[in-house]
Amino acid sequence: MSLFKKHDLWQKLVWPWRPESDREAGSGIVANFLLHWFPNRVSLRSLAFSASLYLGTITFVVFLVLTVTGVVLMFLYVPSVERAYWSIKDLDYAVSFGWLLRRLHRISAHLMVALVFLHMFRVFLTGSYKAGEVVRSARPFNWVLGVTLLVMTLLLSFTGYLLPWDQLAFWAITVGTNIAASVPAVGETIRQFLLGGTVIGQPTLIRFYVLHCALLPLALFAVAAWHMWRIRKDGGLAIVEQDRIHALTREPAAPKKSKTYSVLGIASGTTVQVNDPTTLNEENSVPSTPFLTVRILLVTLLTLAVSIGLALVVQAPLEAAANPEVTPNPAKAPWYFLGLQEMVGYSALMGGVIVPTIVILGLMLIPFLDREQKNIGFWFSDGSGKNWGIFGLVYGLATTCGCLAIALLLPMRSLFPTIESQFFFDLVNPATFLLLLFAAMYFVVLKKTKSTRYAAIATFCAFIIAFVILTYTGTALRGPNWDFYWPWQPWPDHPLAL
Amino acid sequence: MASSEAVGAAAGVSPDRNKDTRRGFLGRLTAAVAAIGALIAGWPLFRSLVPNVLYEPPKRFRIGAPENYQEGVTFLEEHRIYLIRESSNFHAISGICTHLGCTVKFSPFPMPQEETVRQFTYRALGEFHCPCHGSRFRGEGTNYAGPAPRPLKCFHLEVSAATGELVVDVAAEVSRDVRLVV
Repeated sequence: MSLFKKHDLWQKLVWPWRPESDREAGSGIVANFLLHWFPNRVSLRSLAFSASLYLGTITFVVFLVLTVTGVVLMFLYVPSVERAYWSIKDLDYAVSFGWLLRRLHRISAHLMVALVFLHMFRVFLTGSYKAGEVVRSARPFNWVLGVTLLVMTLLLSFTGYLLPWDQLAFWAITVGTNIAASVPAVGETIRQFLLGGTVIGQPTLIRFYVLHCALLPLALFAVAAWHMWRIRKDGGLAIVEQDRIHALTREPAAPKKSKTYSVLGIASGTTVQVNDPTTLNEENSVPSTPFLTVRILLVTLLTLAVSIGLALVVQAPLEAAANPEVTPNPAKAPWYFLGLQEMVGYSALMGGVIVPTIVILGLMLIPFLDREQKNIGFWFSDGSGKNWGIFGLVYGLATTCGCLAIALLLPMRSLFPTIESQFFFDLVNPATFLLLLFAAMYFVVLKKTKSTRYAAIATFCAFIIAFVILTYTGTALRGPNWDFYWPWQPWPDHPLAL
Repeated sequence: MASSEAVGAAAGVSPDRNKDTRRGFLGRLTAAVAAIGALIAGWPLFRSLVPNVLYEPPKRFRIGAPENYQEGVTFLEEHRIYLIRESSNFHAISGICTHLGCTVKFSPFPMPQEETVRQFTYRALGEFHCPCHGSRFRGEGTNYAGPAPRPLKCFHLEVSAATGELVVDVAAEVSRDVRLVV
């Protein structure tokens, strides 16, 4: 006996049913697996382009592009030190459209890293990590999931970086794994576990390959699904808080009660929908289909068009095959780690371990430090928020440039030539100064405004500009021997060699 | 707000409800057994990824007869080692930067010059520069600029009794002042 009758299957494929009313269309959508991704109706505020810039959607589309191209690349790539480099060469020169697959995969990876940062900036600046007062949603937790996704994205990109097995890959991974080794006491053990030995070789390649192709994408997919499901559970984008407040002022009557389901007794409490006073009606909302689905489709198509367009224009570089005997000069990590590499140039422990740990923990803690529930969903919260944002940008610009100047003009080792203790230089260096200056600003703004939100905005904006400046310095202003060169200064033709 | 109260109430009630009851005890026992089981099951998965055998180049190897080396500095590419000969004195300095593991480059001085490092004065032929983060080392290995946390390693050097060739042991570190006299 077959599970489906032929007729049923046909019905499922063509879906000939036509709803007679919006209500019937709505329940039809909720009953359909693909269409119930979205709620029945969607608030006009959250549909507005300025509410989200659709950055999360774009990031997910780029991730899908990476998955599809990645699976095809897995058929064509051989993860062995003898053949990895040559299978990449084959992609460029022997496989039909191999060059396109590789370029598309590479440009999408860079785009994804950039997009998760931009998405984080948007969520922070619109205060979308806040729970809201009308119904306490779990958005703070969803922000933590988001920071986890950021870390996973960076790890995915980093593990993918080794696979071409060229000089760029080999030395970026050398530098990256040695940063892990600068953790006190257990650093060398961690490094050897990552490498699967004491030097980068076949065990390293296979480890990074499995992490890149199986473990990390699966984990990222699971967390990303959770991240998006939470948005539904919290009732949509953070801007719907404004709808809720509006609904409260209009009808202060008892909130409408509706059913809630706790899954097999695992999920506790009630969903936010139960106490949500918002009634989505003709005035403040539209049906998700077609209004949201068409926009998502449009964004998806635009993202595809832009990434394919970029892939046609931007070449994927491939340097000489990996050679442990020759270090390229300068040897640089991927662009999003170059800000880190710049600080690692001051101290491996401070710049490579302590600062990133504090930044990640600090990011995760934002919703728990800043519990103000005002103006959720609006950029910079309000006018003074914007001013404090500008203040943070200017302060970050000045302090970062100042610390760079110290690093270039007054290296700590020449200031204190008599001190031999490495511990001293791990503590006293420009990266530490920058960290302390930012922490000081947070507390000064907090004391002055009595607002955790304004203090957070100023610090976050300073962090953004510091990230941009340090990344730019590492990318464009560092030449052979990691010496400083202005953009208009040519690099020496023949760097000092043996 | 009502929901937060409801959540708080539920959270407040549940520990009391589970405490000191047979069901609560059995629940916690099951969770503990499951956790221990997961740890035991996870250990082989983790341990199998820590290699017991390394198929890597040997740490102790021959580098040829001492008389084949010229006066001054020779870079042994495949081993990332600088071999330095001063007439009959030999010593081996690692070419791996102590910061993040890039290969340092030897920059010879136009003329050998007297240098005072660690209270010793010696004749320096040049110094080592790292291309990755700009660390600099004196000719005898001491770090003096950039982020490198330690001096370059120096390795044990001996003459093979069987063949008369020099033997380097990169697993055995020696002081920067040790010289092999041949």
